[in-house]
Amino acid sequence: MLENYFPVLLFIIVGLAVGVAPMVLGRLLGPHRPDSAKLSPYECGFEAFEDARMQFDVRYYLVAILFILFDLEIAFLFPWAVVLKEIGTFGFVSMLVFLALLTVGFIYEWMKGALEWE
Amino acid sequence: MISFETIVFYLLAALSVFAAVRVITARNPVHAALFLVLAFCGMAGIWLLLEAEFLAMTLILVYVGAVMVLFLFVVMMLDIDLVQLREGFWRWFPFGVALAAVMVFEMVWVLGNNRTAETGTALVKHDADYSNVKELGRLIYTDYVFPFELAAVLLLIAIVAAIALTLRRRKDSKTQNVAQQVAVKRADRIRIVKVPAEKRGE
Repeated sequence: MLENYFPVLLFIIVGLAVGVAPMVLGRLLGPHRPDSAKLSPYECGFEAFEDARMQFDVRYYLVAILFILFDLEIAFLFPWAVVLKEIGTFGFVSMLVFLALLTVGFIYEWMKGALEWE
Repeated sequence: MISFETIVFYLLAALSVFAAVRVITARNPVHAALFLVLAFCGMAGIWLLLEAEFLAMTLILVYVGAVMVLFLFVVMMLDIDLVQLREGFWRWFPFGVALAAVMVFEMVWVLGNNRTAETGTALVKHDADYSNVKELGRLIYTDYVFPFELAAVLLLIAIVAAIALTLRRRKDSKTQNVAQQVAVKRADRIRIVKVPAEKRGE
């Protein structure tokens, strides 16, 4: 089975090489003449106004967690779709119940306005 | 002769251990979260070597794709002031040590018990057309249907809890409710007042 994943390994190795090689070449071949103007923080030609680390609105967190929950739902759908012909009506209905339960959650979040972005 | 798989395993294991050590030693929490992504990727590779392909895919899809996004949001939401974060280090130090001791004890107890060696069977090498996803699918939706539906209930609870905890209306929001604007009645906007007629000023 693992031999099927050998191309994936090759992809990872080539991808890493493509990512790392330009940085190494740039470090080795590029000239390094830093001065205070080059190293100073740059924001559209002005001095930086404030620290980049600021608090985010908690609503981003809500969107992220709802995304995770429905991502998990999708993860359960993959093996189900692969063996749908073998597990018969019982397996089909069990997934329908699963989806119905999550649809309750989806309707709840929609009606509560959790998907609205004011 | 070391097999190719062994070499890949040791490379991935070294990567995972390095990333895991960096998670706890990195000073910047955002860097720590990114090293956690690297550790997840290394572990996904190791799971793949164990022929648990579905678990490996799910680790990438759910943990790297979604959970780490959440972690980064949380890290960004914390308003990281490193000096402030270091404050109270010694106050919480005993709790941390106690927690770490419990976890080390658990690991030693589980791994040192030799139970895994007794009950575990040798890894069976499968043919190229073997599908781990199919094996899982045959079991989850038939034999393990009750835990599967319980998972749905858990996800439902998580949805409700997340909304209850974080859904806030912003007070400074200037959004228009179009339905309300359309449905407005004449009486809501204007008021007709009878004003007694006055004589023209002299």
